[in-house]
Amino acid sequence: MSNFESLSKAVIAGNVGQAAEITKNALDLGARPMDILNLGLLPGMAVVGDRFKKGDMFVPEVLMAARVMQSCMEILKPMLVDEEVPSAGTVVIGTVKGDLHDIGKNLVAMMLESAGFRVVNLGVDVPPEKFASAIREHKPHILGMSALLTTTMLRMKDTIELLEEEGLRDKVKVIVGGAPVTRDFSEEIRADGYAPDAASAAELAKQIVGFSVSS
Amino acid sequence: MRSNYTANGSVHLRILSQDQCELLYSAATRILERTGVIYHDNEALDIMKKAGCWVDGKRVRIPSKLVDRALLTAPRRVTLHDSRTGLPVMDLEGNNAYFGTGSDTPFFINPYTGQREKSSKKSVGWACKVIDALPNIEFVMSLGIVQDVPQAIYDRHQFEAQVLNTSKPIVTTAVDVAGFSDIIEMCECIAGGEEELRRHPFMTLYAEPISPLQHATEAATKLLLAAHKGLPVVYTPCIMAGGTVPSTLAGAMATGLAESLSGLVLNQQAREGSPFIMGGVFTVMDMSSTIFSYGAPEFNLMMSALADMAHFFKLPMFGTAGCTDSKIMDGQAAMEAAISIVLSAFSGANLIHDVGYIEYGSTASLELLVISDEIIGMARRMARGIEVNDETLALDVIDEVGPGGHFLSHDHTFKWFKKETFFPELFDRRRYDAWKESGGTNLTKRANTKVKEILEGHEPAPLPANVRQRISEIVARAEGSLGI
Ligand code: B12
Repeated sequence: MSNFESLSKAVIAGNVGQAAEITKNALDLGARPMDILNLGLLPGMAVVGDRFKKGDMFVPEVLMAARVMQSCMEILKPMLVDEEVPSAGTVVIGTVKGDLHDIGKNLVAMMLESAGFRVVNLGVDVPPEKFASAIREHKPHILGMSALLTTTMLRMKDTIELLEEEGLRDKVKVIVGGAPVTRDFSEEIRADGYAPDAASAAELAKQIVGFSVSS
Repeated sequence: MRSNYTANGSVHLRILSQDQCELLYSAATRILERTGVIYHDNEALDIMKKAGCWVDGKRVRIPSKLVDRALLTAPRRVTLHDSRTGLPVMDLEGNNAYFGTGSDTPFFINPYTGQREKSSKKSVGWACKVIDALPNIEFVMSLGIVQDVPQAIYDRHQFEAQVLNTSKPIVTTAVDVAGFSDIIEMCECIAGGEEELRRHPFMTLYAEPISPLQHATEAATKLLLAAHKGLPVVYTPCIMAGGTVPSTLAGAMATGLAESLSGLVLNQQAREGSPFIMGGVFTVMDMSSTIFSYGAPEFNLMMSALADMAHFFKLPMFGTAGCTDSKIMDGQAAMEAAISIVLSAFSGANLIHDVGYIEYGSTASLELLVISDEIIGMARRMARGIEVNDETLALDVIDEVGPGGHFLSHDHTFKWFKKETFFPELFDRRRYDAWKESGGTNLTKRANTKVKEILEGHEPAPLPANVRQRISEIVARAEGSLGI
């Protein structure tokens, strides 16, 4: 039992080495992989999420905790059946054409990964056609577009229109964000959601796919 | 007669010692030699290759002797002029500190409604009118992005809104090189020709590298255009410690400097002696909200340290101050603006921008602008320091008045008090009753009143009718090229 608690603590502390060691030891002692996940790793991540919301933990600590979680999952995965591996779904994300701001978009991508999504990051300066073909290729649940410029945010609208033309629009939920983007704008261009920062983007994405880690 | 006497002609502020400047310079050049930078532009890659860099695809490693050379060939001083008179108004060199606004905020606080609205051609015109009237704001950046015109050519409208409403020098952004070319053409009309503009520039171009360590095509071509035209260019990395650069301030600064210096090398290789203004918004990413902070203490530290580096390099420096992360004009806004203004004035950055930015650079506030104008006045008084000599020590006067007397009606007081003291306009020093009787206003309210008075009462010096006509033709031509 106390092993699970110390595993949670290692997740919270962002201690990769220690968490991997506890995970391996627990397996050697016969613990069930699902218990390690549900009683050790996920409760740790839940605490991290709460503390971040309260302002008691910071982005690099959250990302480190997610890295701990992922490296333990690498150890557990071979022992879990597919349905047991928590996956929220796939997200394709990119910064729209003409726009080179990328740190905000990258942060959203990392937060989505931390929340259990598989993320395909298309980078910056992504034209509508490239978004469309990535949707065909990766069949994501969600498309995320980032724009930091008033001049480039209109490319989000172009992309949505292209998806409509190509019959792809009802296959994905589209979420948008970036400095000049507002909720009103996202409604105007018929996106499915908007979030002002990376943490709320992850919340939004989970809501959209109906995924909850703590369940 | 007195020997070995040292006097402080002004306040002194240094964050970095000479040795620390050497070390940061060495670090930046080691980054350029070892890690290198990316140039996305082919012409830039050719130039860097010819200059003797090690080019591997788009990745360019720069031998440090090229950086040393660029620092020798770039002019130490850039002088900017009044667009109406052509007379010099700012010598950007040494520790001369001038203040101005920032550009391109998507939103502004409408002074009549108090609402956060999309910035427009009108809001930019308003901002420039207010800037034109303020004594301590010496240069202009648009303080808003014009969104009520076709977005592919908004920059021509934005420049028109600026230059019609103020004669102060303009630091201008642009959509692309075509936009810059049109803006330069407008400036040549105003100055009276290409040669005239080059000799008496009243504008500088503006471009930014992309952290970490990249020069986009957009930015590189602007550096080259400036060099070909012989016009000054501000090159300003916007780095975020912990995000796009290391979280340690020294590592952050070394990376930002490497970005600036690799821009400088390209600019000087295109044309030696081309005027280059090293800039930066060096700050931290707030690890809770994830904003790029315009009010953090680390921002203030790095900006002052960057001024030390600019002095060490003998390059003109583009600084940042008078801005805040607060969403409204409140105590936080005034406090953050004041700290950055005072430190920038003391550290002697030359062209200090972003006065009037609230909401971490997303919104413009004309109230913060007029309040900052007054803070700059106070900062300048403090920067002047204390003059100590026989006249100011006033021993004869003290002896004459003697114990128990007063100085109120003395000639010496009459002669000196105005030179020695700063007189506030918005910062209220009235006695309680007078303040209460005049409405018991707070600072923001008084600032708002001042903004409206300027908007309704101030008339900027006009441009000649034929020049105005030419400018609107250039705007119309750009619109025409879109098929509108
Ligand atoms: C840093 C910065 C840059 C850096 C970017 C470096 C990089 N590697 O990304 C550089 C220097 C390259 C840059 C360049 C330019 N910039 Co800039 N930049 C900024 C600045 C100061 C901070 C942006 C930032 O990174 N913030 C921190 C990150 C973490 O936050 P974020 O990007 O907002 O992302 C968060 C949320 O928005 C949200 N989010 C973001 N994307 C998405 C996507 C989805 C799906 C969701 C749900 C949520 C979401 O979550 C993120 C994480 O919490 C802003 C100011 C501001 N107020 O935003 C100006 C700003 C955006 N830039 C501006 C301008 C004008 C430019 C330039 C045009 C300047 C020029 N003339 O050269 C160029 C444009 C280059 C180009 N073609 O893209 C203007 C925009 C004006 C406009 N037109 O709307 C701003 C507002 C500054 C200003 N007031 O002038 N910039």
